Amino acid sequence: MQYRDLIWNLTITDLKIKYQSSVLGFAWSLLNPLLMMLVLYFVFSNVFRFTQEHFALYILVGLIAWRFLANGTSVAMMSIVGKPSLVTKIYIPRQILVLSSTLSSFISSILEFCVLIPLLFIFGANITPYVLFFPIAHVIFFFIVYGLSLMVAAMYVYYRDLTQIWEVVIQIGFFLSPIVYPISMIPAQYLPFYVLNPVTIIIETYRNFLIFGLPPGLKSMVYLVISAVIMMVAGNALFNRLERRFGELI
Amino acid sequence: MANNRYTLKKKNLDNNNAIEVDHLSKQFRIPHERKITVYQHLAGLIGGGSYSYEVFNALQDISFTVEHGETFGVIGPNGSGKSTLLKILAGVLYPDSGTVHLNGKIAPFLELGVGFTPDLTAKENIYLYGAIMGLSKKEIASKYDEILDFAELKRFENMKLKNFSSGMTVRLAFSTAIQTNPDILLVDEVLAVGDESFQRKCGEKIDEIREAGKTIILVSHAMGTVQELCERCILIQNGKIVEAGATEKVIEEYHCLSEKGL
Repeated sequence: MQYRDLIWNLTITDLKIKYQSSVLGFAWSLLNPLLMMLVLYFVFSNVFRFTQEHFALYILVGLIAWRFLANGTSVAMMSIVGKPSLVTKIYIPRQILVLSSTLSSFISSILEFCVLIPLLFIFGANITPYVLFFPIAHVIFFFIVYGLSLMVAAMYVYYRDLTQIWEVVIQIGFFLSPIVYPISMIPAQYLPFYVLNPVTIIIETYRNFLIFGLPPGLKSMVYLVISAVIMMVAGNALFNRLERRFGELI
Repeated sequence: MANNRYTLKKKNLDNNNAIEVDHLSKQFRIPHERKITVYQHLAGLIGGGSYSYEVFNALQDISFTVEHGETFGVIGPNGSGKSTLLKILAGVLYPDSGTVHLNGKIAPFLELGVGFTPDLTAKENIYLYGAIMGLSKKEIASKYDEILDFAELKRFENMKLKNFSSGMTVRLAFSTAIQTNPDILLVDEVLAVGDESFQRKCGEKIDEIREAGKTIILVSHAMGTVQELCERCILIQNGKIVEAGATEKVIEEYHCLSEKGL
């Protein structure tokens, strides 16, 4: 693929800039979810008194997964407008800008999950060979995030207040997904709608693999693959439609 | 490279033309009130205001062909549509109607140093910029020393670009860009870079490229340069071709226009 070197180069550049302040830059990005976990763990296990097995890990897995979606889309939203000269002074397929931004968030997310590994042992998660399914699920999640990123990045060129709107959407999504509370809290009559959210499925799948050592559910995996395909198709369709006028609007 | 979206069409061409532009038109809509947020769109809907805009014809019915190995000039007063034409050739803008056929690998030099990142070193920037210009990592590696030598920046290869002077930055950009080895070069008044001695080197490099039989499209205000380099020219005014042909004739017409104050 002729653009492979370019995609990789842009991805690495993104990461270099992000972790510029060397060791500390990277450490901060890992401390953030850990500190969040501590606060949420304290609040939700002591104040709300949720009883969920492995609640600390439960929150942490949810948070790290969610961070990929939230940060990935928010950063990718800027990927077109933030590099104006690559849009107006030269032609490269503009998807590349979104792709490399999403890839760099993906790599950050993988690093965050790597830090999780020792914690899984410390907190006594039930480690089984099923953890090996985790990378597959994470790649599927990548395509969901990439499809979504294509949409928001293209729309941001036209609507510059999308950042504010997206912040709210992300906030709502955070509470509509089982990140800080167990899924058993959801009243039975809402449950069929609640599990339509692919992020709910992905987070639950991650927990099954990483914490509870459960095998993948066929229905969940199929649902995730279908969601990823839909997001990719819709994202590309919208992006290609809006892309024609990028050169004029930036 | 900038493997332009038009190149797909090239395969059916079996002639000597590097570029064929056929009845090309481009309009810009200039809204009376620019709406760039969801809020403004909603407010516009509720307020009942209609979407009104002015149409600006940046290019109207432009047709010309450029042969392989030719250096072709595009001249005209400010705002006449020269840059719009170049951007369409580069694939940055879509035309509203008309077609463009490009026969070969194209390198747009609309601006030098596209994608330069101040927080990276000169070395990292060479690899990044080279990749943007369509070179593979291997190609850049093989030309890396040549790039630094030409830019006379060997000593600074590990210095961050933000500590470079603007002259050094431009030298680095030109040296990297020139390595892309395109068939068609689009140049938008970027030849005047660096100090006098570096300019001379650039001029020599451009001559070298011409002699190698590459096609060059040159957009410039500097009539001296155009006269010296181009065999043929077009003169664009208000988005239309008003004169085309041998450089001397077209430049004469350009001077006529300027005197009339049009």
